[in-house]
Amino acid sequence: MPLSRSLARRLIVLSAGNVLLLLGITLCLKQGASMADILRRCGSDVAPTVLAGLGMTGLIFTGAIDLSIASIVVVAGTIFGILVQRGASPSTCYGACVCTAWVLSMLNGWLVRALRIPAIILTLAGLTFYRGMALVAADLGVPNFSGNISVADDAFHAPGKRWAGWILLVVIVAALLWERSARTSRSWLALGSSPEACRLMGLRPSKILQSAFCASGIFLGLAALVFVTRIQAIEPARLALGFELQVIGAVVLGGASIFGGEGCFGGTILGALFLYFTSQLLTYAGLNPYFQEAVVGALILAVIGLDCALQRQRKSLEELA
Amino acid sequence: MKGWVLPVLLVLEMGLFTAISGAMFDSPTAFFHYFSGYLGDLIAQSAPVLLLGFGMTLVMITAGIDLSVGSMVALVAAVMAVCPGGPGFWFTAVPLGLLVAVLLGLTNGVLVAWLDIPPIIATLGTMIFYRGLCFVVLGDAEKSPFIDVPGYEGLGQFLGAALLVALAYLVGGYYFDRSRWRREILMLGGNRIAARYAGIPTGRRLCQVYGLMGLFAFAAALCFTARNSSVSASSLTGLELRVIVAVVLGGTLVQGGSGSLTGTFFGVLVVAVLDEGLRGAVTWGERHLPFKISHLQYLLLGALLVLGVWLNGRVSRTRGR
Repeated sequence: MPLSRSLARRLIVLSAGNVLLLLGITLCLKQGASMADILRRCGSDVAPTVLAGLGMTGLIFTGAIDLSIASIVVVAGTIFGILVQRGASPSTCYGACVCTAWVLSMLNGWLVRALRIPAIILTLAGLTFYRGMALVAADLGVPNFSGNISVADDAFHAPGKRWAGWILLVVIVAALLWERSARTSRSWLALGSSPEACRLMGLRPSKILQSAFCASGIFLGLAALVFVTRIQAIEPARLALGFELQVIGAVVLGGASIFGGEGCFGGTILGALFLYFTSQLLTYAGLNPYFQEAVVGALILAVIGLDCALQRQRKSLEELA
Repeated sequence: MKGWVLPVLLVLEMGLFTAISGAMFDSPTAFFHYFSGYLGDLIAQSAPVLLLGFGMTLVMITAGIDLSVGSMVALVAAVMAVCPGGPGFWFTAVPLGLLVAVLLGLTNGVLVAWLDIPPIIATLGTMIFYRGLCFVVLGDAEKSPFIDVPGYEGLGQFLGAALLVALAYLVGGYYFDRSRWRREILMLGGNRIAARYAGIPTGRRLCQVYGLMGLFAFAAALCFTARNSSVSASSLTGLELRVIVAVVLGGTLVQGGSGSLTGTFFGVLVVAVLDEGLRGAVTWGERHLPFKISHLQYLLLGALLVLGVWLNGRVSRTRGR
């Protein structure tokens, strides 16, 4: 499917921005750090955001959104931690982690359809509900739970530390190829553009929505796996705080319209890289770490604000028609 | 929801938690004494949320939402906290805080009204941005100049808090209920395009509503700092969710065009009683439950939000909206 002009423009801007940021990082490099190191680390650092971002992109295509992804990652991580503590084999732990995330994402989709609540509100509730669930699960599953579950054993760190780059590469290639050829991703866009037209064409909106949540669950499962196998201890109350903002920021930077019906997977990948390189540049440039969050927040706002302001004229013309 | 549901729910909740906390009364006077103390504490404790709930109701009537309130209150408190204490505090820090609060609110308003960013995305962005600014202002420090300001702690006690809340809900609510302004924002929330064609300055009204939210954030910051007497850069995370749950429970529709201040008042109290009750039930929980009872708070908040939205949606569907 050919890209729309505004989307193509966005991809070019993001690519140029990424190249500029990389150049900036190169200029700021000090003795002892090399570009190759940064690029090697980049794969596993950016993997959770990109993986979750691909799932979120599909959801945003349909006009839905999932604010609860960080909490879902926490639940998946807690289940993973409990199994590690109980002495399960690594592959069981990985499988349970991915499955938990998928099941919760499916549950979100099912609840949105069954209760007819906007996805954004339902998942806002999920954001707190799932975190509570993780805490209660940790209380029940870990003897003498004191706030964090240790997963320091190196045998459990393969996906996050060694395979992350490869998982990321395979998933990105698969997702981009699939986007070019499959019907499903286009039906998501159709649902986002107009649910009513979708229904009249004989497509089933609720089924399409559920498929988007299903795909998001799979991506999120992989993201959770990479996320929790990179750290030494899982702390359900604080793990992955603000992860959803990072992911939504990447998706919106990537040119997906938050109202649904427009966007592409490639944009999300570039958007996530853009955010990552920005924070790296700020670190290497020696900016006070306290300023980082404010700068990144302002950056997201500026890009989105510019985009919305540019679309404003088009929208007001449509309104008159 | 019917008007009597929330007050009844409130009374049931209070009864349940009083029974669980193990309070015993041997005479009506003892009961009265306990109860008046409890109510006074409840008002003083929930004053910030009550004030923010007023503002959030207005925002949600316009079909918007403000996720940045937690960061906004924290930032206003942080700005006031870097000023020196003493009697001069009233003439330097307090006006400065007011100015900052209104500016922050208007920033949200401009993003939503003029740049046409969807409110949930815009305020998600400012939520990160303002929180980042908190870290810029305070760093890792925890400041408490509020203790040596004469007369300041009165705002955190029953009398001061009740005065502020009464000023907002009785006086403000009285004028609001009778104003043309209220009907204009109701129409704006119901149908923005129709409102504009009816000659309502929609952009200006939206800016006013978000600016007012800033004003309420200032009042909430006063109450909060007077009661807690210290502030750090990460205080008040998650406050926005509490406010939104309360407002939604009060019967305000998330899709805009309808809302009630009385409902919000009771909604806030329901959430506050739940908080207080769970805090009081710790010893009971340790004896009877296999997990920490404070973790239930997350689960209940999420469940209440879904329940509230679902009930509101059902009512508006049967009314044939």
